[in-house]
Amino acid sequence: MKLIEALSIIPKSPNPGPNSGNEPLAVALVCGFTPLHLQTFLHAELQLLFPERRIELTTGLYGDIFGTLQGLKGQRLDAVVLVLEWSDFDARLGLRQLGGWGPQHLESVVERVDVWLAQLRLLLAEIGPAIPVAISQPTLPLPPLFFTPGWRGSFYELKLKELLAAFAAALGQHTRIRIVNEQRLGQASPPAGRLSVKSDWTTGFPYQLTHASALAALLARLVRNPLPKKGLITDLDNTLWSGIVGEVGAEGVHWDLDHHSQAHGLYQQMLRTLAEEGVLVAVASKNDPGVVEEAFQREELLLPRERIFPFAVSWGSKAKAVAEILESWNVGPESVVFIDDNALELAEVKAQHPEVECLQFPIDKPQALYELIEQLRDWFGRGTISEEDALRLDSIRQRAGLRQPTDEREGFAESLLAEVEAELTFDFRKDPHDQRALELVNKTNQFNLNGQRYTEAAWHDYLAQPATFTLTASYQDRFGRLGKIAVLTGRSGAGKIHVDAWVMSCRAFARRIEHQCLRVLFERSKTDYITLAYAATARNGPLTSFMKELSPDSSVGEFRLTQAAFAAICPRLFHRVVEENHE
Amino acid sequence: MNEVRSRLSKCFAAVFPELIEAEILRATPDSVASWDSLASVTLVSVIEEEFSVEIKPDDLEQLVSFDKVLNYLEQTKSVA
Repeated sequence: MKLIEALSIIPKSPNPGPNSGNEPLAVALVCGFTPLHLQTFLHAELQLLFPERRIELTTGLYGDIFGTLQGLKGQRLDAVVLVLEWSDFDARLGLRQLGGWGPQHLESVVERVDVWLAQLRLLLAEIGPAIPVAISQPTLPLPPLFFTPGWRGSFYELKLKELLAAFAAALGQHTRIRIVNEQRLGQASPPAGRLSVKSDWTTGFPYQLTHASALAALLARLVRNPLPKKGLITDLDNTLWSGIVGEVGAEGVHWDLDHHSQAHGLYQQMLRTLAEEGVLVAVASKNDPGVVEEAFQREELLLPRERIFPFAVSWGSKAKAVAEILESWNVGPESVVFIDDNALELAEVKAQHPEVECLQFPIDKPQALYELIEQLRDWFGRGTISEEDALRLDSIRQRAGLRQPTDEREGFAESLLAEVEAELTFDFRKDPHDQRALELVNKTNQFNLNGQRYTEAAWHDYLAQPATFTLTASYQDRFGRLGKIAVLTGRSGAGKIHVDAWVMSCRAFARRIEHQCLRVLFERSKTDYITLAYAATARNGPLTSFMKELSPDSSVGEFRLTQAAFAAICPRLFHRVVEENHE
Repeated sequence: MNEVRSRLSKCFAAVFPELIEAEILRATPDSVASWDSLASVTLVSVIEEEFSVEIKPDDLEQLVSFDKVLNYLEQTKSVA
């Protein structure tokens, strides 16, 4: 992005009204140098990523990173962006202070950096749990203060980098502290083009514009922390493997160096990795199912058949196959990627499912293949892997195996529900660090009370309010565990219960879990009625159906449900209920 | 030459979005309240990027109006 473009984006910042539900996005930019154009670029990038929010970007004092960070404690912020450079650790590592590059200084430089980083680590450990922090490690070159020639690594230089790496690795363990990937930054902003000595001396801003722009783009992404996509649908012939299995047979397809088809092997390896991380992987292929079945008997496949569900193999339309897979997974098309070598197939799927990301598998283009798997990493990358990620495929397969409901929330047979030995664990602990709970609130569309989303900071602030409560539900039965599948939050006081947010994973539909949630809520609160902040969204049809079930004349707004009305419609519940952390 | 004037006008408009076209052509630090030191630095950076020129620190003091910047760019380009 050019500076003139960034400047033109900032005035377009929206000014939503107080009741719009879109609070301003409050971000603190903390750096030791004059923020100048980095502030402009970051503001613009944040505006592009949060188009509905007004960006409030504040900065601190020149040369006072510690003081600025200390001042942020207790502030209501959505994120802190911390930009470090070597000169912050010790001014002798910059170009603005003179008087100390001799060999006698090197030992003390290393010592000072060690102490500085240790102190910063402690300070960030205090801030990080409350406010998400995006950090860039030093991006500018170390000046030539070492006595070795420039082409040789100095012991002291290597020591400094070792300290920095240890600092970053320690911080990287915190889920709310996110560090810019230096490798990705290097692709967008090669190291040789980052430093502007003139700007550093004249304004205290040490970056070339191109570097400031690239760095701001990555920092803004760390603040945005987009939700990963959920599923990948792949073609088989000349995509998952080289060759057309219907012509050359199961033993005639390849994916290795010996057959000049390593690209397919690397692609398989990537898909297996994604599957192990919890990504849903399905096959959509125009083929004879029997031949495909035979090919998947080959043990050397890097993506084994048990990692794939479902297989949509037929001679029918790919767009129709994608529709069936989406239904089977019960996920929205915006969360899905489709990969095929055939441009026509891609065009057909794109036409029928415009929200699906469609990528062409590059044949005989190794570099393009590498870029494709990098793209997949970006789309499916996540900060942590939860227990629920590992369980997702099994639970979807299990659900599909039980029956095929025609309605999203159509129940399983009463007799089956009675036999599955379902156990629901309700946890009443308010844990702002429960990433799974926040993920459910922010990812769930169908059974979602009102579509309200929360930033990490807003979620933290909400749970910190004394009147709020949280109820999370985890489910298992004799077919397996679904893990944590529902979150209900609200406020209580004066004998009243108001539900602000309520979501349930689509994997948990049709098990009467929603009824059990309400039953437990009534039972524990001992209230005569509860109110729910219900709002219809474009995608919460299943929730709306449930509300109609509770009250046929339900309308959006504050929905009032009495215990008597609930008892009258509540079906028989078979779950064994376990309650944890209830006051 | 009109092209340089037009591009320069866009640079001024980006830094001083509150100005209309006529005000941009007459803009000086005295006539534009928001033309402070920070705006000067931003304006110079935008112009350097837009015109692929490097403005020497010693030249900055004379670039105190739209016309002066325009003249400076015309001379710089003709020398180049």
